[in-house]
Amino acid sequence: MHRCLPILALIVLACGEDPVAPTGLVVTLSTGDAQTDTVGQPLAPYAVRVTDTSGVPIAGVVATWAVTAGGGSITAASTTDASGIATAVHTLGTTAGAHAARATVGGAAGSPVVFSATAVADAPATLAKVAGDAQTGTAGQQLAATYVVRVRDQFANPVAGATVQWTAAAGTLTAPTTATGSLGTAENRHTLGGAPGPQEVTATVTGLPPVTFTATATLAPTLVATVPVPSNYGLHDTFVRDGLAFLSAWNTGVRIYDVGNGIAGGSAATPQLVGTAVTSASPLSAGSLNAHNAWWFHNPNTGEKKYLFVGQEGPGSVGSSSSGDIHVVDVSDLASPVEVAYYHLDGAGAHNFWMDEQAEVLYAAYYNGGVVALDVSGTLTGNLASRLLARIQPGGSANTYTWGVQHAGGSVYAVDMESGFWQLTFTGSAFTVAGGGNNVPERWGSDLWVHGTHAYTGTWGGISRNGNAGNAVKIWRLGAGGAPTLVDSLVIANISTVSDVEVSADGKLLVFSAEGGLNAGVYVYSLADPEQPVLLGSYAVGTGVHTASLADIGGKRYVFAAKNPGSPALLILDITAFAN
Amino acid sequence: MDPIPGGDALTELRVVQPLLMLRAARGPWRLQATLDGEGWSMPGGELAPGVWGEGFVDRRHPHTYVHELMLTGADLLGAHDGAAHVSLSAGKGFAPFGTDDPMSRPPLRYPVNHHPAQILERAVTIAGVGTGPVLLEAAVFNGDEPEHPSQWPSWSRFGDSWSARLTVAPMRHLELQASVAEVHSPEHRPGAGPDQDKWSASARWERPGPDRRTYLLLEWAHTVDADGFFDFTSVLAEAELRRGPHRAYARLERTERPEEERLADPFRSLRPHLDDAIVGITRWSVVTAGYGLRLPLGTLGVVAEPLGEVSAGSVVETTGSIFDPVAFYGRDTFWALTLAIRLSRGLEGHRMGRYGVFPRTGPADARHGH
Repeated sequence: MHRCLPILALIVLACGEDPVAPTGLVVTLSTGDAQTDTVGQPLAPYAVRVTDTSGVPIAGVVATWAVTAGGGSITAASTTDASGIATAVHTLGTTAGAHAARATVGGAAGSPVVFSATAVADAPATLAKVAGDAQTGTAGQQLAATYVVRVRDQFANPVAGATVQWTAAAGTLTAPTTATGSLGTAENRHTLGGAPGPQEVTATVTGLPPVTFTATATLAPTLVATVPVPSNYGLHDTFVRDGLAFLSAWNTGVRIYDVGNGIAGGSAATPQLVGTAVTSASPLSAGSLNAHNAWWFHNPNTGEKKYLFVGQEGPGSVGSSSSGDIHVVDVSDLASPVEVAYYHLDGAGAHNFWMDEQAEVLYAAYYNGGVVALDVSGTLTGNLASRLLARIQPGGSANTYTWGVQHAGGSVYAVDMESGFWQLTFTGSAFTVAGGGNNVPERWGSDLWVHGTHAYTGTWGGISRNGNAGNAVKIWRLGAGGAPTLVDSLVIANISTVSDVEVSADGKLLVFSAEGGLNAGVYVYSLADPEQPVLLGSYAVGTGVHTASLADIGGKRYVFAAKNPGSPALLILDITAFAN
Repeated sequence: MDPIPGGDALTELRVVQPLLMLRAARGPWRLQATLDGEGWSMPGGELAPGVWGEGFVDRRHPHTYVHELMLTGADLLGAHDGAAHVSLSAGKGFAPFGTDDPMSRPPLRYPVNHHPAQILERAVTIAGVGTGPVLLEAAVFNGDEPEHPSQWPSWSRFGDSWSARLTVAPMRHLELQASVAEVHSPEHRPGAGPDQDKWSASARWERPGPDRRTYLLLEWAHTVDADGFFDFTSVLAEAELRRGPHRAYARLERTERPEEERLADPFRSLRPHLDDAIVGITRWSVVTAGYGLRLPLGTLGVVAEPLGEVSAGSVVETTGSIFDPVAFYGRDTFWALTLAIRLSRGLEGHRMGRYGVFPRTGPADARHGH
């Protein structure tokens, strides 16, 4: 038993008790509890009082001190004076919130004595955006999400009660100033101004650098008419000229609507059916008109508006095969169109057209057949095989699947799904490559539009290429000789294909259609800077839009959008406000 | 299954082929109904290599909840037609074309060629005439394939497609079959799509018995789409050997299938179609082998069969189109392992997709027809 005593003493020491353990003492909190001060600052001294059990102060008793919560530092130990008082200074830690410390007097009743304190944040040192930046909303409408900033002190503690001043360059805000809350955050809500484009809101806290939120205000196209088409796959392309819209409605044929021409009393808001061009199904099976696209030829040399060229898109395997002819329809009587001629290319099928009407040459993209130039002068009848002027597979026979073609600036431009964007020269009897090509290796190409010194091409994502969807619009600068150089890309989230691209006649707007994702629909961009298009507005269509054609009719600007199945239709959207 | 689109492997635990079958007969009339719960139990599709139709890759034509609902009048003329048998069948079910539904054949997972080799879940009317070892069936039906599990046939399209099948049993245990069909716009429900011409030929050897069964099937199926612009050929051989509770089987298949434009989700293709283009044709060469141990449970006729099935093979694109299996799947070889317990009752001898009468010298356990 005697041998055990030293061992027990060691155990007591290990438990942290004082070496002197007077008995009959009482320790109580004297002053200093429940203070509040700034982080990192010393508090007024804590004091404890030590007495005997009858309340007589006891001097010379050692109190030990320790910080138990919140960090910081405190006097390690102090001894009671004649009044039985022992004191310590607690310097708060740098984290705002609850702090605590304790005083321990060994063996004394009431030990340990606990002191609590509250540390508040220091002065504002930083201002940062938390949420709400980079939203897109309709001009004149309140944005969906609030702007949120957070103010912190030099130790990154949120600062409550700081005043944030808000300034909107356009539109209005819920309040000119807001105060930060306990989390250091302050909020505001932005109602966009009426003009499309970027709109900035600045948040400021005195003495700190401001932060800026940038929202994009867009305009909402106005749907003025919906023209259903039969579910024969639906509507592929719409060609609009002289207030007539030619709807290529697959096996239904090409439906001709008065959308402002006046011959049938129609307007963009009230389209009136004038006639239907039912083309031959040949070379496909009966009923497979597969009317995909059309071009109404206005011959400037003769004044005739006689022929409608219709592209027939037959079965194909993307990248290797295609089918379908060019059908020529006499539309002298728009109510009773009659097919008069056709052009057939063995082993390939027609896709999009362009015309050099002055030269009376039709250019046709022919998928694996490349680009075809046809002489369409004079009277057209029967098989037009002899009218072939030239053909080129710009990417070579194994790397050509041409989607679209355009004659512009003396060159012929072609966009190929496999081999990219090409500049061709047409001599009247032959094509040669002038520039471009093999310049979009990461995505499959789709449509194109050339305007002035720039061009825009879409991308197709029916199957990904190098892991990329067809969700980009490529922006090209045309050099002095017309050769394209890629300068930038627009990438649109949550679509798989940019299926049609067009620039307005005045060069102000870029319009394209999108398919295959949550953000499918019609997009309108400003080309104030042709190399940095700015989103002006969009029109969502869940099933996607296959083509979007621009037309100026009666002083207004419209997009004729081909809405994809299940319920295919032509949507006519008024975007007049976008051009102002 | 390794790989799936994107190059990853995928492991699933699923209830597959949950079927409830009803067969009733009164006099010459026979009712056959099959409810299929796959739309509920595997909404993402069948996880098997290359399967076109039910496949997880495109989930193009999932089995519908009402897989079959057929009423048959068998031997309607009785003795008036002498030794011949005339039957009429109508309802929703299989058109007389090709071989039996894979669900009633030895392997568990579907072959790639299920939809090219069978015409299923149509509103169909079938006339059958059998005499001696010969059976001739002809039918009209709707061409559209279902596009989701709860969809019924497009009734307005009933009669736009037809098929005919000649079955001959030249000797005991052997059955030869040849079929032809013309299917209007199967891939575009409103009816604007191209037609398909289909042919099938098969030879089926089956020697059944209570504890011994030998089965062999050789099948050729050919589909010409869009007036010959596309054609797809499938050859398949499968065999089963059963001794007592042990069952071993194998299948060799080489099937071509179309590859279609995909949505942002690579597992889904565009529906409805916008045009007649595809992005390529792939040829899948698949070897499948399996073993099952059939264990009767209790006295109710329920059989539990633990089985293991492994498939391996390769895929190539055949047309020079832009579809690259390596880009899509990460590589052009694959394998799949299936571990399952099959629970069944009363399925023995069932031949799904056959109605009316059979050749009289056909397999004994199938002669009754369904």
